[in-house]
Amino acid sequence: MLIHYITGIVILVAGGIHLWTVFLTAPVEENLRFDNTPFAVLNVYRNWILAGSLEILLLAVAFHGFNGLRVILLELHQGSAWTKAVNLVVSLVAVAVAVYGTRTILIAFQIT
Amino acid sequence: MDVGNSLASSLAVALRTWLIPRRYGVMRWSYTLQRISGVAITLYFVAHIVETGNVVGGAHIWMVPAYQYARDVWTETVEFLANPLFDAGLTVIGFLVFFHTVNGLRLFLAHFGIILGKPHRPEYPYIPASMTRLQIALFWLSIALAVAALLYSVNIFFKVILP
Repeated sequence: MLIHYITGIVILVAGGIHLWTVFLTAPVEENLRFDNTPFAVLNVYRNWILAGSLEILLLAVAFHGFNGLRVILLELHQGSAWTKAVNLVVSLVAVAVAVYGTRTILIAFQIT
Repeated sequence: MDVGNSLASSLAVALRTWLIPRRYGVMRWSYTLQRISGVAITLYFVAHIVETGNVVGGAHIWMVPAYQYARDVWTETVEFLANPLFDAGLTVIGFLVFFHTVNGLRLFLAHFGIILGKPHRPEYPYIPASMTRLQIALFWLSIALAVAALLYSVNIFFKVILP
């Protein structure tokens, strides 16, 4: 559970940066544009500090969220088959989401 | 090796006990809310990663796409999501995120013994030593900040409080 707490603190910082870029830098409508405003989506991905913090946020939430789900499911019901199945399914979904999000980050900043 | 309970009976017990936080004080509410908010935020997170995947043009794109194509897919996505139903959903997620964050900080501090009371002999009215005033105050702070986030996002998406 120590990693759960560590990722929680990481999310507090990286999530704070994410909410700041989307909501506090300019009106949300401007920041949701594809390009050409200072914090439009492509410009966020082109800034390696912001893109890096998004990647950290992605990995931390993928771990924290799915580990939390795993804990709830393992408290719900006990048994070694159940434990193995929950561990496997939850890990696979977490990795799939992390890979898909990383793909978005790695491709988005190269769009010209 | 199964302990004996069927999945259905485990689920029945869980729904009877986990999701009914009455009668056990404010900490029990924080437990139930922390779990409900955690599950809801995780589901939102998956949807959000799928949604932002459209910045590069969708799930089938694994090489750098044409600018025009990615822009059209993203613009369509933003237009599709700009309706009162999704906006209302986001305000609820805003509430849950702020509650989960601040209540999670309380749990973090309590787990490492920082805001935990000292053990003492049980005396009437048997209030647990762990329920310090600071813990209860932090719980209500998490509710207050969550309500503030809710009002802020209602104002952002529906523009009903401030112009």
